[in-house]
Amino acid sequence: MITFENVTKVYQKDWVALQDITFFIEKGEFVFINGPTGAGKSTLLKLIYKEEEPTKGTIKVLDENLRFLKKKHIPRLRRKIGVIFQDFKLLQDRTLEENVAFSLEVTGTSPRDSRKKMMEILTYLRLSHKKFSYPYQLSGGEQQKVAIARALVRDPYILLADEPTGNLDVGSSQDIIDILLDINYKGTTVLMATHDLKLAKKVKKRMLRIENNKLFSDK
Amino acid sequence: MALRIGIREGFRTITRNNSLFFLSLLVTSISLFLVSLFALVTVNLYHFLSILDEKIEIIAFMDESADSEALKSNILKINGVKDVIFVSSDQALKNLQEELKETEEVLMVFEDNPLPASLRIKLEAKSRTAKGLEEISSKIMLLRGIKETIYGGELVDQLKKITHVITVFDIGLLVIIIFSVIFVIFQTIKLTIFARSTEIEIMKLVGASNSFIAIPFTFEGIVQGILGGSIAFILTIITNRVAISFFSNVYFPQWWFLLGNLMCGFIFGIIGSSIALRKFLQ
Repeated sequence: MITFENVTKVYQKDWVALQDITFFIEKGEFVFINGPTGAGKSTLLKLIYKEEEPTKGTIKVLDENLRFLKKKHIPRLRRKIGVIFQDFKLLQDRTLEENVAFSLEVTGTSPRDSRKKMMEILTYLRLSHKKFSYPYQLSGGEQQKVAIARALVRDPYILLADEPTGNLDVGSSQDIIDILLDINYKGTTVLMATHDLKLAKKVKKRMLRIENNKLFSDK
Repeated sequence: MALRIGIREGFRTITRNNSLFFLSLLVTSISLFLVSLFALVTVNLYHFLSILDEKIEIIAFMDESADSEALKSNILKINGVKDVIFVSSDQALKNLQEELKETEEVLMVFEDNPLPASLRIKLEAKSRTAKGLEEISSKIMLLRGIKETIYGGELVDQLKKITHVITVFDIGLLVIIIFSVIFVIFQTIKLTIFARSTEIEIMKLVGASNSFIAIPFTFEGIVQGILGGSIAFILTIITNRVAISFFSNVYFPQWWFLLGNLMCGFIFGIIGSSIALRKFLQ
């Protein structure tokens, strides 16, 4: 489902973000990308949804070689991938419902289907009673759930989570991890980047450890 | 569907981010008003210069016994002459009385009408130069029945030179103003779009195509441009009213100004938002 073959990413001024990374992730896997801050975890995720281009190497996502994916087809790839972030990236001037619906509207889903799908997701995440709330009226954990809802509402094949618990307390973090595990259980491939080694070890899933911009271990 | 959602999103931005929108609208309106104001000065300048140019003519004084109709038809045959108007001795006196209304007594010293009959010779545009005037005047002087001709001569060339300098200066200034205005409008639109970079980032993240992202911003740019153009036009009308109270005759082709303001607003809005967006969509 996701293949990295000798991938290197060098930013301007010879700043190496990732060096010679090779791994393969199968459909339905839950994988932690672990490493200290600045190790290149976010860059690795960005390469998967083609926000960044590799300097060297080959990346294949959902049977597509990203090197040959034209710019105009990037939206098509991103519609199959859900992404959540540490800072949630929610639209502050829209309600929870509008934030989630937004994700469906851009893909041209009809308002009726969109509404039905949204209610399913909000109910699943126990957020339906807050659908008219604005992000600033929600707790950190709830905001992250909205971000998850926005990513899930399009039934993605892959869910990328970039430090999703970085801004949350222990209780909310556990909630989010449980949700991600459940999503994975239902068949979605999940990649979660975290600097928290303890948290990653506790969950007992495959872990790609990145240190000094190289793949240090894969177990 | 993308267009409908795009326009709805555009409206939403205008109503929800209204302070940013109004700030941007204010800048657009003032900028377009500056262009409009300068255009008003320019058209009036050209209007005035063309009136002045039209007034360049030759006056030929006739002998008392001369046949005015014969002279008129002969003069009309000269290349560069547009029209010939006969002014009788009585008419000339009446005109002078009209001009000297307040000092009418001056004319009392004359027992008889001292003014000779004359022909006012209007010229075609190409002949309204010192050389043209001289050539035509010398041809007129050859005609029997013409006593004397008067015309501007060197003054005409000086007027032409001044007109030329004013025109070049005016066009230069207009170009500078237009470029400054384009720069200011573009930068303002860029700032408003930059303020919403998170929104664009999220749109890209959830798989929105570039055209889908561009629609609301372009729509907003168009609305802003057209509204800005309308406000600039209203401000120009007000300025024109004020100008009329100072200068009795102000030339203001208002439909052209309305069209110009709306078109400029529309074009600046659409191009400004497209250029500003390009950076984010790359």
